Amino acid sequence: MSLSEGPEQPRIGVDEWVASAEERRARSPLARAQDAIERVPAAVKLVALVVPFAVFPLFVNSQYLMQVGIDTVIFVLLALGLNVAVGWVGLLDLGYVAFFGIGAYLYAAVASEYAGRYWDAAIAIPVIAVAVAVSGFLVGLPSRRLVGDYLAIVTLFFLQLWLVVLINASWSRGPNGISDIYPLQFFGRQVTSLDAYFYVALIAFVVIVSFLYLLNQSRTGRAWRALREDELAAELMTMPVNRLKLMGFAVGAGIAGVAGAIYAPVQGAVFPANFDLVLLITLYAMVVLGGAGSLVGVTVGAVLINGVLEALNDADNASWIFYGVVAIALLALLKPWWQPIAVLVATVVLGFAVHEIAEQVRPSLVGGVTLGDSRLDRLADSWVLLPENVLTGDGVPTGWLGRLAYIGLVAAILGLTLVRSHLWRLVALVPVLYLAACVWANVLVAQPAVARFVLIGAMLVALMAYRPEGLFGKQRVEIV
Amino acid sequence: MSAEERVPLLEVQGLSLAFGGVRCLDGLDLTVGEGEVVSVIGPNGAGKTTLFNVITGVYPPEAGEILFEGKSLLGLDPHQIARRGIARTFQTLRLFLNMTVKENVMAAAYGHTRAGVLRSVLRTPGMRREEREIEQLAEERLAFFGDRLVGYRWRQPAYSLSYANRRRLEIARATAAKPRLLLLDEPAAGMNPVETHEMTELIGRLREEGGYTILVIEHDMHVVEGISDRVVALDHGIKIAEGTFGEVATDPRVVEAYLGTSAATERK
Repeated sequence: MSLSEGPEQPRIGVDEWVASAEERRARSPLARAQDAIERVPAAVKLVALVVPFAVFPLFVNSQYLMQVGIDTVIFVLLALGLNVAVGWVGLLDLGYVAFFGIGAYLYAAVASEYAGRYWDAAIAIPVIAVAVAVSGFLVGLPSRRLVGDYLAIVTLFFLQLWLVVLINASWSRGPNGISDIYPLQFFGRQVTSLDAYFYVALIAFVVIVSFLYLLNQSRTGRAWRALREDELAAELMTMPVNRLKLMGFAVGAGIAGVAGAIYAPVQGAVFPANFDLVLLITLYAMVVLGGAGSLVGVTVGAVLINGVLEALNDADNASWIFYGVVAIALLALLKPWWQPIAVLVATVVLGFAVHEIAEQVRPSLVGGVTLGDSRLDRLADSWVLLPENVLTGDGVPTGWLGRLAYIGLVAAILGLTLVRSHLWRLVALVPVLYLAACVWANVLVAQPAVARFVLIGAMLVALMAYRPEGLFGKQRVEIV
Repeated sequence: MSAEERVPLLEVQGLSLAFGGVRCLDGLDLTVGEGEVVSVIGPNGAGKTTLFNVITGVYPPEAGEILFEGKSLLGLDPHQIARRGIARTFQTLRLFLNMTVKENVMAAAYGHTRAGVLRSVLRTPGMRREEREIEQLAEERLAFFGDRLVGYRWRQPAYSLSYANRRRLEIARATAAKPRLLLLDEPAAGMNPVETHEMTELIGRLREEGGYTILVIEHDMHVVEGISDRVVALDHGIKIAEGTFGEVATDPRVVEAYLGTSAATERK
């Protein structure tokens, strides 16, 4: 007899209220969009992911853009591999880029004039995938009992070790790299055009993403998710946690190896500097932005970030992205809707006012021209404080105001975080935003190398505040 | 029926463990026969959960022997011990909170399933069959709790369950590992009287229908009385009493352990 059965009795202990909490919870538009995406069958998602890539070469006839396309797909592959260790198994692997390097150098070792060999890619790529997976396994072996920060330190050490060896060893030709790598060759036919390389990378993407999807929907994928949730419970529920972690490490490394084996022949050369910490941080940004654990998310994250990074190289696009990111961040972070709009309007008004006053008081303060050449930049010229440009030899303006404003901006942002009252913070935000625009127009727009990472950082900070689980990631719940 | 007449499924001999200067287990002997339900009671800090942790391999003991089906468990990893046929639940629930209810149970089938990476990715017929079996097993284990964990609940994340349902889900997950011996750590903790009563029935059903041998830690004496063939009382890592519920409950040393010396003297 069960006390809660029978329709006429009160259903004591049957807790529909708790169970329906999920439905009642107010959901953001993004979360609802995510639910909708989750209901879409996997095959449809795969097609939706691949079609934009597949038609990309049809609309592009510049060699530069094709190169960007290939790089993007390689970044997607790398992010997918990193996602296995970070998103699925939950290991903080900071040595990941080394496996990309091992893959690239292995290709150089089996197909280059330097090595004196020319393996067919149909053999080379699978062999490299397995070899790099084995190397991942071996790296994981001594660190398999380490968790969290300790694992991060050991793997970071491994990456540095790899770089030091590459730079100093004679077989790798040190910092000069190996530069006479043969192109990919499938069954005797060489891949020569960038379009063909793009499709090779795309096929690798389809194979790997299907592989990962199917693996995630199996007992291994379940075990990975389980051990990420609770290692001890997973171990006590018959899952060999250490072996599973090593497997995750190896699978991720193998995928990085494939990416390396495509990257090396595309570039025609490999250098130690290709596999540094900047790349690692970029990959982490992709995984985190897209949503660790989600294949769609990681793919979108990689495309977005690589797209933004490339676009930022051009000063004309850069300003659009800068003002766009600021506007979107404000819209995402400030609620209700009228607050960000009020702040933006106030900033615009403040800008014109300051500009007008400066022009009356000291015309030289606004006599400069932004480096960018878009309509937005022309508009900004009559809005921000921009002293007459003094260009150095390499065309970088050395405005004293810009440098001062840069330091001031950092101080102002720090100060902003100390303001307690919401209203005052909104008020203080207006001059800070204007200051940021001044810094942008004076300094950053001319220095894409710095600006790109400042902007990516700002994007991540805004996203993490709005949606810590990333664009497509799943919110994780801990019960206290 | 006394324990000696049955084949001992689990035999613990002279088990000792200390953390620093604190002796958690001190020469503990314990036997659990096939098909028995044995309760472990004792005040907080008596070493009950530590006993579970040592049996399941979380902590290696300093001295003593643990035999399961006559074979030693010492030196095995926890997952190997679990595969031999010992599954447990946790006093402080340890579900895979962000996985669905059904996935929680399916995950525990890892030990008795085979499909590796290659077969999983190629979706061989054998792998598909195994996957269907795991799913059926999970549905069947969840159906054990009536309509509480079936239907739409399968697809809900474990964190959305109520406290009592999370306790039930832990039991379902443990049984999906296909154990012979189930270790339940305070299965009725935090439940209301109705749910506690249900849990008492449930443990009986686990033995009758599931065929599990059960070692259970419980503080609620009504539950202990309702389910136990035998009761073992611990205090400071030492077994202070063993026998039927009636024998143990009236044992002066048990009363002393729970209430202190003067209470024990007064009862005499």
